[in-house]
Amino acid sequence: MGAHYAGEDDIGNTVHLFFHFDPLLALVTMVSARLLYGALVFALITVAATVLFGRVYCGWICPLGAVHQFSSFLFKKTRFLKPPRQDKASLAPKYYILIIVLAGALFGLDLAGYLDPISFLTRSFSVAVFPALAHAMSSLNGLLYGLGITGLARSISQGLENWMINVTFLQGLSVGLIFLAAIALNARKERFWCRYLCPTGALLGLLSRWNLFKLRIDDDKCIKCGLCTQHCETQAEPYPNEKWKSGECVYCQNCASICPTGAIRFPLSGRPEKLANVSNVDLSRRKLLLTTLLGLIAVPFFRLTPSRKRASLKLIRPPGSLAEDKFLAKCAKCGQCMRACPTNGLQPALTEAGPEGIYTPMLVPKVGYCEYYCSLCTQVCPTEAIKKLTIEEKNKLKIGTAWVNKSRCIPHVLGKPCIVCEEHCPVSPKAIKLVEVKTQLPDGSTAVQMAPVVDLKLCTGCGICENKCPVMDDPAIFVTSVGETRSATNQLLLDLSAGSDSQERFW
Amino acid sequence: MKRRAFIRDLALTGLALRFGPGLAAGQGPAPAGPLLLAAVEGESPAAITREAVAMLGGMKAFVGKGDRVVIKPNIGWDRTPEMAACTNPEVVKTLVELVLEAGAKKAVVIDNTINQARRCYVRSGIQEAVKQAGGDMLFVDDYRVKRTALNGTWIKAWEVVLDIIEADKIINVPIAKHHSLCRLTLGMKNWLGAIGGARNQLHQDIDKAVVDMAAFFRPRLTVLDAYRVLVRNGPQGGRISDTELVKTVVAGTDPVAVDAMGATLLGIAPRELPCLGLARERGLGEFELGKVRLEKRKI
Repeated sequence: MGAHYAGEDDIGNTVHLFFHFDPLLALVTMVSARLLYGALVFALITVAATVLFGRVYCGWICPLGAVHQFSSFLFKKTRFLKPPRQDKASLAPKYYILIIVLAGALFGLDLAGYLDPISFLTRSFSVAVFPALAHAMSSLNGLLYGLGITGLARSISQGLENWMINVTFLQGLSVGLIFLAAIALNARKERFWCRYLCPTGALLGLLSRWNLFKLRIDDDKCIKCGLCTQHCETQAEPYPNEKWKSGECVYCQNCASICPTGAIRFPLSGRPEKLANVSNVDLSRRKLLLTTLLGLIAVPFFRLTPSRKRASLKLIRPPGSLAEDKFLAKCAKCGQCMRACPTNGLQPALTEAGPEGIYTPMLVPKVGYCEYYCSLCTQVCPTEAIKKLTIEEKNKLKIGTAWVNKSRCIPHVLGKPCIVCEEHCPVSPKAIKLVEVKTQLPDGSTAVQMAPVVDLKLCTGCGICENKCPVMDDPAIFVTSVGETRSATNQLLLDLSAGSDSQERFW
Repeated sequence: MKRRAFIRDLALTGLALRFGPGLAAGQGPAPAGPLLLAAVEGESPAAITREAVAMLGGMKAFVGKGDRVVIKPNIGWDRTPEMAACTNPEVVKTLVELVLEAGAKKAVVIDNTINQARRCYVRSGIQEAVKQAGGDMLFVDDYRVKRTALNGTWIKAWEVVLDIIEADKIINVPIAKHHSLCRLTLGMKNWLGAIGGARNQLHQDIDKAVVDMAAFFRPRLTVLDAYRVLVRNGPQGGRISDTELVKTVVAGTDPVAVDAMGATLLGIAPRELPCLGLARERGLGEFELGKVRLEKRKI
């Protein structure tokens, strides 16, 4: 799963297409970024399917739902989970989460990605699950080599190199633990996430009351054993019939198959469900208003951050990223760009982009750099927070600017030769030039050496210089975001001759 | 052989013998014995590679039946062949073919790349070329990089790619390029792609490092690709205008002489490259081409 380099510059259709069928992401992105976009059409298919057939998306399509269903199944089989005869727990949290997410969207705040199931799953796999697996495979390799099983070990290592799984992630621990927690919660309640947390499920639940197939129990056959309600994955309470909640049912058909007398069917019915029967939640106007109000009040909290006043030093966005406010309004934090990045340089942010930017991508040159002949990250973004670019277009952009720290640079300080940054600089002519520098050494002598200086106009901010600098702990050449093409204000070089055009970006 | 071709070859060989070594060195006739160096110019990278190896006595002189041969090109960069940052894929392909024709069991092509390995292997065209020729491409495996005693004058021990040193025979296939620190990167510097570790720290005394590496990795054969060479913005270039066509392949058993010939082709006198002098002191070979049994040919 996921997008990675497979020997072609054009990555083609990948998992990012799946996002287009996600109505919550589509809705929130459109509202928060204030625009319509083509992928909406796909989301409408899901909406139409839900209106007609109920939450089949959750039960049959959602991959995170499948993960939860499978782990619930395992927990049940191993008896960690013993479902009660009847569960009275409130199903409200997911609706409140949905309301807060939608309220945020009104203010240009994109919170959908954190708990949207597709985003959550792809982020968890890109940043934590795949990396952990690759680590495990690599350790296994060490063992295999140790045991002398070199053939297998070699196949594994060559395979890992081919799959290009990035294994270094700043937030790998937090993303991984949250994912594990989401799985572990299934030991408490079957499909815990789908019942109580999923905002996409909540949205689809609200759409499902008109659906054409409603649960009917044949009273003549029913022996009132309660198995259907006990084993209902999403607490939709098939029995008694009038309590069945259309907004919670995911049409998994477990109740129908577990019923000893075959009393449960889903016949065609045009009658809309009563609002009270959508869920066990009292979605009365008073509570709805209150939650919405709370959501709206909470939004400004996200904005109390200096990152809105001045660009963040280390916030180097992937090439093709929109200007920061638009980027934040669109990024789904799905981690697909981080999966696609061939150098592992794209990392989930924690504090660098402010509170609404948690898990958004940024380039960390110490980990990996922006590969010159690559535009994969721009091809996999499901919401076009990163605009799709060809390699030629990408290489005309600046994502930042490199700076030499002369108090740490080997030729500048030690008077010894080192041209590593210059030799790695991928642009031609090189943005890093070598000039003769005189250095006073501690013994009083003077060394003359060629030392790097950066031509700010040529530098694209790719960060390979920082990545390859032999000064390990704090590289003597480093990239900051200033000069990034996407920003009209985070600029250094004043280009008055170009006129007003220079301020106009094509996005 | 056609009569015309025979006369042409005879004349060219005669000219090369008369002027080639003499011009390069200007000191007496070249010593007798088997050829140590062959430089062939021509339109087809494959043909000149074949010819150069044939002049040295053919691949069978270097590769035995059942050998596991490692061919080490420069695949350091995620660059297409016309950027001349990596060894010409045709040259590598020809060598794989020659090695397998000579009866080798396996021809393995490997490099510890600078950009992401798979991208370099693909974009350089070398992966496809090696596949076509029936060779094997191998990625460097972290578990197969071990700190090894080099016993160099500067570097006593370093992380070395085991798949290279464990081979029965090693063939070095560098490309001639501009480099801002070494001026040129040729055959001996290509061994920096056969090691792991903190390679970027070797630049503090790169010539010593290069010679220590060259003294450790003793290739049976060095085949220098100077078909399309990088003349500025090395070692990776980026524009076709950074390259020039020299259309020559230099093959030799003396790695120092091969590099010296490479330097000459790029218009730099071998004595201006410090690593060649250091290498001669270490007994790795001869950079004064007049003292080397060599032959130049144009096909």
